[in-house]
Amino acid sequence: MTLDPTDSSQPDSWATRSLSRLIFDTLVILDGRGQLQPALSSTWQVEPGNQRWQFSIRRGVTFQDGTAVSPDAVAASLRSANPNWKVFASGQAVVIECEAPTANLPAILAQSRYGVAKRAGGKLTGSGPFAISGWDPGKKLSLTGRDDYWGGRTFLDAIEIAMGKSFREQMILLDLGKADVVGVAPDQARHAVLEGRRVENSAPAEYMALVFARDRQSVEDGKLRQALGLSLDRESMNNVLLQGGGEPSGALLPDWMTGYAFLFPTAVDMRRAQLLRGEVPQAPAWTLGYDTSDPLARVITERIVLNASDAGLRLQATNSSTADVRLVRVPLASLDARVALTSLAARLGLPQPKFNDDSADGLYIAENALLQSQRVIPLLYLRSTVALGAGLRNWTEAPDGGWQLQNVWLGTEKP
Amino acid sequence: MVVTGARTMTVEVSNRSSLGKPGLGSTTVDDIRRGLLTQLAALGARFVNAEQAAATVRVSLSENLQNYVWVAKLQLGANQASGVEPAVVIVSLPRPETRAVEAEAAAMVLHKTSLWSQQDRILDVAVMERNPGRNPAHMLVLDSRGVVFYRLQDGQWQAEQTLAITHSRPWPRDLRGRLQLRQDHVFDAYLPGVFCRTTATSPLAMTCYEGDDAWPIGTNLFSLNAVFSSSRNYFSGALLPGVGKQTTTAPFYSAASFPRGQSTLWLFAAVDGQVHLLDGATDQVMGKLGWGSDIASVRSGCGSGWQVLATGNGDGSTDTVRAFEVPGGEPMAASAALEIAGGITGLWTETAGTESGGTESGESSAVAVVRNWETGRYEAFRLTLTCGR
Repeated sequence: MTLDPTDSSQPDSWATRSLSRLIFDTLVILDGRGQLQPALSSTWQVEPGNQRWQFSIRRGVTFQDGTAVSPDAVAASLRSANPNWKVFASGQAVVIECEAPTANLPAILAQSRYGVAKRAGGKLTGSGPFAISGWDPGKKLSLTGRDDYWGGRTFLDAIEIAMGKSFREQMILLDLGKADVVGVAPDQARHAVLEGRRVENSAPAEYMALVFARDRQSVEDGKLRQALGLSLDRESMNNVLLQGGGEPSGALLPDWMTGYAFLFPTAVDMRRAQLLRGEVPQAPAWTLGYDTSDPLARVITERIVLNASDAGLRLQATNSSTADVRLVRVPLASLDARVALTSLAARLGLPQPKFNDDSADGLYIAENALLQSQRVIPLLYLRSTVALGAGLRNWTEAPDGGWQLQNVWLGTEKP
Repeated sequence: MVVTGARTMTVEVSNRSSLGKPGLGSTTVDDIRRGLLTQLAALGARFVNAEQAAATVRVSLSENLQNYVWVAKLQLGANQASGVEPAVVIVSLPRPETRAVEAEAAAMVLHKTSLWSQQDRILDVAVMERNPGRNPAHMLVLDSRGVVFYRLQDGQWQAEQTLAITHSRPWPRDLRGRLQLRQDHVFDAYLPGVFCRTTATSPLAMTCYEGDDAWPIGTNLFSLNAVFSSSRNYFSGALLPGVGKQTTTAPFYSAASFPRGQSTLWLFAAVDGQVHLLDGATDQVMGKLGWGSDIASVRSGCGSGWQVLATGNGDGSTDTVRAFEVPGGEPMAASAALEIAGGITGLWTETAGTESGGTESGESSAVAVVRNWETGRYEAFRLTLTCGR
């Protein structure tokens, strides 16, 4: 495991993104409402055609090693993050030339994978609010607040992040007062509340879906995929298996992001599923792949197999990577709906969405077209949940589950 | 949406958004439904029962992070039976700013009047009144970049001059600042590690110095200065010249003063969440008050004459301010809690200034700066107390 924000081999999670943001700044950020705000870049402009962008770089910002965040350093970092872009410094600005019109480039650059990093002598440094003071890969990360951070010194002096702990181990550390924030499994969030713990949930922002390995092969294949989708009891999966830790979804993007996801039905319709199944005399048995190390994926898979069986469909659960259908979990990549949909499509192996315009209608048409391909059967959106220690104050979480630890402080109990 | 062909229709409107919720605007779902029907009727639509309708329009009033999203599903009668998917039309419009809900009246009533709103964080606002009559004439708005001088013209604030703040060190997180109107020059501005002073004569100019000048935290009547930690968002606890013999207290966010007999008592909202009462000799920690980090004093003339305004300590989407009397050293609520849509980021006693350059005895109001979580904008309000119902 590395801390390099551009390392695409890292498992994508809320936690890794949140940690990356503590160390590495991006040129711009998206606020809690998904609106662009300046960060390392104070202003930006685009030339007609949306292919050539210029970002002015904030003056006086330094990396954690004390060297200046120069336009050259930013350009080098962005070239490393996306070799398809032509990136170069121009005065106090950085110019990015994209291969194709990219109207939402600032929102793309707000993703943590475009965090500006300086790589020198095998060392990695950023310009973020915390400096790395210790790093034991995959086990422990120690961060120290920077007095000279351009965005204001963090309230916390230091943070220690222990990695590789099970949810149960994390909860024990919280109970012993050895941790101030721990992760909670989605299906344990309700239980944690009932135990009287301080629990914070994000908006439902981690997508769980079934993804077919291949495009629809025939009309019959399409009918079977539709039957599978109609047979799934998402409400029950959410209420019983997840203990309400998510939201059923029939769409690709969550409703809080688009405002129209309710148009895509989520209700089980077993009668119609059976009718569709009956229209196909020979139905193949599909293999259903899932991450066997993920307990949540296991119980959801078992329920899917059961639901499908009720509709007359045969699914065989497997840990093979070459299954016909895979159960996947993908965290939302951005609070910008177009960036989120584009990224999700890439992660699910779907064609890139085509946006006719910037309207809500245009987004709906693009999303609907992806769903019509029948490569994906939406299931749920899961929440990110954390349990907090009594002394932790000002915990804020972006709707997409991103932590904002730079704003957290530790207080004493009120008398 | 343009409807052609089908003239008889039924329209259903359902609300999935925050429209109609308290504090989120006065437009109701009924208003929207009426407007929609009026426009459709103007296009020739006739509204009939579902059984007689050639088309069914189902409008859902939804919302996303930034906008209201209105979704119309149009199903023609013939298509409904044959299972053809309905046509979908989606439009969006920006969600308006939220409005605060005023709490019910109590013994004293706390009012808020909007002074200013902007995207950048407001640190403090000072209003200079026209003499006589307390009609506002000029307004100063302090933010991280400088002080903007506004003049009231035809009922609108017009920016007249911007005085930039120069500083070499990055501002600390949760930046705070204070404006202080002066008699011998126009104003001073205090920010962490930076002190700015204007010239006394026109043209107005401002010079900023780096240093740890103590900030004025008192009122014209009860003067006190305190050292602000230049890399933090709180006062160090060092007091100048001090409260009686006491020159230090615990690090604190804000302070309020009020008279008690011949002496002055001071309350400090400390960083550790406690409230300290200093009387010049002792530093008492108050019991559980449920106060937030911002307090300020106002001279309302009601009750004992002086009250302390204190924010609540809730973590929700709304903040509250409430007036307290402090008889016998134990704060007692003197007004209902005034709900503010957002989080209060600053609360200062307002020292009213006059256009002629002086400061009035003032202190009858406070300035609250609020970050509206819904819109992300900062809003400055003047808080005043009136006496009972």
